[in-house]
This record gives sequence, C-alpha cells and structure tokens, in this order.
Amino acid sequence: MTKSARALRLVLACVVPAMLTIGIPFANRVEPRIFGLPFLLAWIVLGMILAPVSLSLIYRLEGRRHT
Amino acid sequence: MSPAVVALSIVGLVVGGTIAFALFSVRRIPMDPHQYIVAGRSFGAFFLWLLLAGEVYTAFTFLGAAGWAYSYGAAAFYILAYGTIGYVIGYFLLPAISEVGHARGLLTSGDFFADRFGSRRLGVAVGALQFFFLIPYVTLQLTGLQILLTIAGYDAYDARVGVSIGFLLMALFVFSAGLRGTAWASVVKDGLVLAAVIFAGVALPLKFFGSYGAMFDQVNRAHPTWLTLVATPTNHSVIWFVTTVALTAIGFFAGPQNMAAILSARDGNVLRKNAIWMPVYQVVLLLVFFAGFAALLIVPGMKPGAADQSFVLVVQRYYPAWVVGFIAAAGSLAALVPASGLLLGGASNLVKNVLGDGFGLATGDRARTLATRIAVLALALLALGLWLVYSKTLVDLLLFYYNGITQLMPGLIFGLVWKRVGAGAIGAGIAGGLLTVLTIFYEHADPTPWGINIGLLALAVNVIVVVTVTLIWPRKDAVAEVAG
Repeated sequence: MTKSARALRLVLACVVPAMLTIGIPFANRVEPRIFGLPFLLAWIVLGMILAPVSLSLIYRLEGRRHT
Repeated sequence: MSPAVVALSIVGLVVGGTIAFALFSVRRIPMDPHQYIVAGRSFGAFFLWLLLAGEVYTAFTFLGAAGWAYSYGAAAFYILAYGTIGYVIGYFLLPAISEVGHARGLLTSGDFFADRFGSRRLGVAVGALQFFFLIPYVTLQLTGLQILLTIAGYDAYDARVGVSIGFLLMALFVFSAGLRGTAWASVVKDGLVLAAVIFAGVALPLKFFGSYGAMFDQVNRAHPTWLTLVATPTNHSVIWFVTTVALTAIGFFAGPQNMAAILSARDGNVLRKNAIWMPVYQVVLLLVFFAGFAALLIVPGMKPGAADQSFVLVVQRYYPAWVVGFIAAAGSLAALVPASGLLLGGASNLVKNVLGDGFGLATGDRARTLATRIAVLALALLALGLWLVYSKTLVDLLLFYYNGITQLMPGLIFGLVWKRVGAGAIGAGIAGGLLTVLTIFYEHADPTPWGINIGLLALAVNVIVVVTVTLIWPRKDAVAEVAG
C-alpha cells in the first residue's frame, strides 16, 4: 500500500469509533428528530450504518490478502 | 389446554427439535480436539457469522437491552455503540490472531499467550482465568432462561426445574457435538430470534402507537430525561457512556468463546468479511430497544431488575399463548446456544492449558477430547449450582466478567505487534488490572468519580504496568515468526 492509501485507511478506520465516543457529547439531544427517532439514537444508528461502509472501503483499499 | 401448557410445549418442541437437528447435522464428523474445539479450522463466512453472532447476541443481551431501555433510557444505547466499534477493531485484530493460530496450531486463548510470550505458565494462568470468568457469564444466561420460562408458564410452575432440565440437555448436546453442533444450532436460533425481535420491535410498537415517532413523542412527554444522557458526572452520564463504550468495545472479542470462533475460520479474509457485515446484525438490538420503550409505556412502573421481562410480559398480556411460546422458545435458544459455546470455550482452556500444559494430563488426542467433554459437563454443573444458590447477585458478577476478561486484551494486541514484551510483563499487567478491579469492587466505589468505567481504569493500570516492565526488562529471546 502507498503512504496515502495507509493514511486514508487510518481515517476510514477512525470515523465510526470517533462518532460513537468523542462525538456522543455533541449528539446528546432529542431534536431534531430523524425518522421519528430522537437525535442521539439516530446518530448511533448512523454510526452503525457507516461501519460496514467504511470497512468495505478499507477492504477494497487493501485488496485480497494472501493468507 | 391451558395457555401455559401450549406455550411451554412450543418451547420444549423447538429446543428439542433444534438439538436433534444439530446432532443430525454433525453425525458423521469424527471428533479429535481440532474438530471438537475449533471445527477443524474449516468455517467459511456463513458459519462464522452464525457463530460470532450467536455468541455476541445472547438472551441476556435481548432481555437486558430492553430492560435497560425501559429503566434507564438512553444509557442503554451504549450496547448498540460498543458492538459497532467492536467490529471495526475486530476487522484488524481477528485476521491477525487467526493467522498466528493457523501457523502455530493454536486451540485456545491460553495457547495464544503461551506461544506469543514463550511461557507455558502464562498459558496455564490465562486458561484458568478464562475458566473462572466464564462461570458467571454462563450463569447469567440461566437467569435469562428463567425469566422466559416463568412467563411462558404463566407463573404456574417453578421455572428453576425447567431451567435445570434445559441447561443439562444443552450440556449433553455440547458433550457430543462440539463447536460444529453449536454452529448448526445457531442456524435455527438466529432465524427464530430474528422473527421474534421483528415482532417485538416492529409489530408491537406499531400496534400500540401507530408509528415510532408517536411512540417517542409519548416517551418524551412521560419521561423528559429518558432520550438523552445526563450531563452531570455520575452513573449513566455522558462520561460513563463514553468510557463504558470504550471498555466494552476493546473487550468485545476477549472471551475464550470468541477465540474458538476466530480459530475456526478458514482464513483471515473470512474474518474480514464478517467484521464488515456483522454491524448489520446490530439492527436486531435497535428493534429490542423499540420493544423496551414500548413496554415502558404499556406496562409502566417496573423496577430496574424486573424490567428485564418487560416486553415479554407485554406479549404475554396482549397476545395468544402460541405467540408467547414462540417468543419464549426463540429467547430460550438465545440463552442455551451461546451457553453451549461458553461451556466449550471454558472447558477447552481448562483441559488444554491447565490440565495438559500445567500438569501433563490428557495430552493425547483421544484423552484430550474426552477430558474436554467431561470438563464441559463439570463447568455446566458448577454454573448451575452457582445459579441455584446465588441467583441474586448476578449483575455484580457480570461486571466482574467484563472488567476481568478485558484485562487479557493488552496481551492479545502486544502479542501481535510488540516483540519485546515478555510473559512477566503481561502477567504483571493482568495482575495489576485485576487488583484494580477488585479494589474498586470491594470498596463499593462503583460508580467511580465522574462515572468513569472501572474496567477502563483497570485497563489503563494494566497497560502502564506492561509498558513499564517491558521498557525496564525487554525480552531477549526471539518470538517464533509467523510465516506469510
């Protein structure tokens, strides 16, 4: 992997964990409601949806490994 | 027929049928330790998904997640957050562990420590620790089972008898079928659990409130503080949430049952693909929260411990007995199938690392398979006995399981990335972490100041000890290189 690909991988890997830890104090509110869900819950659900997205991007970036 | 007979018969038929199906599926597999404990390292993406999902999403998760949403509101969301982060960590960690496992022929987490740090004694200690931590975790599943059987029996029977019978049947099942049996049983379990939570999390809220928006409006009106975390530094505060998510995400794959699943994978790519798609399974937990919030409005006023049964109670009150039967059957499988994986994980560590490497007993293939089977039964009886005597103090025990098992994580990670770490450093780190947990535990200082999770404090102590010892006394002998 090139240096920039490694950096991109690191960023992709950190997005969801950051959203669901240090992002929580900023998302700790009821309004605005998203599809009826309170904002805090919707924020955590968004993290849950982004996790497969970011991980499959990383998987493509790495290519199939020889194991 | 009385509703109790209908519901309990369905539970009995489903559990019995699942066991029979799984036994039938493994009938031609000859059992040696590799087959029995890690299924011959042959699992592809599908079985691995079932196995990992089976061990992560247990009856206690379902009942507990709904119960927490009912009793504490937004604090419950931590369950959704930590699993998601756990999979991101797992994407990188699990393939690395599995590659070492394949190259070095490892069977248990005790093996991993013995191999990476070149110390049989460390392997013995880790194997013994894993065994003891698992007992309360198995015991918790029994409490989940008791709640379900009590409701399915419409309070007419002593559920402890049913729990004992069901659990001993499951122990005998593991005795004969090993890890492959657990994976096959997970096929049935996951299908039923999915149907049950879709019912509880979709049909139930829509029937009573019309839409999720309307339901959350009502929750917000009745309990204005329920849908956000409290800002004041205390239990269930924002700081508590963030530190608890961090600890439980780090410890997500630290249990011996997870190690068995990791080592059963065919190769690292199977584990990577699993880590990508496992977060999708978390939708199940989201639906369980909905069921918990619905129950809060439909059957208000339950105490925190009792609230674990809240949404099943709603089903019992407003739906016919056969629906209750199927929900309770799904929940019973969600208790028993993971318990079977736990029994196997604990027993294999005890036999391979403590009896085998520690005392030189049962080292041949046949003897080791037999000894693991006997240890499965012994662990089952121990857990059942503990549960019958001390069923009240389980939440404390669960806390100890998570806080304790996470102390193995520095070893799992340093064993992969830092060659200078020796067995002494890892052992001292684990000891330091466990002492921290025990001190805070017995001082009753939980919640700690600012609501910081005690396990995370202990983990910090652990890592500081490992790093300090390693910098002073770095390891000199070489670690076995992993090919590839």
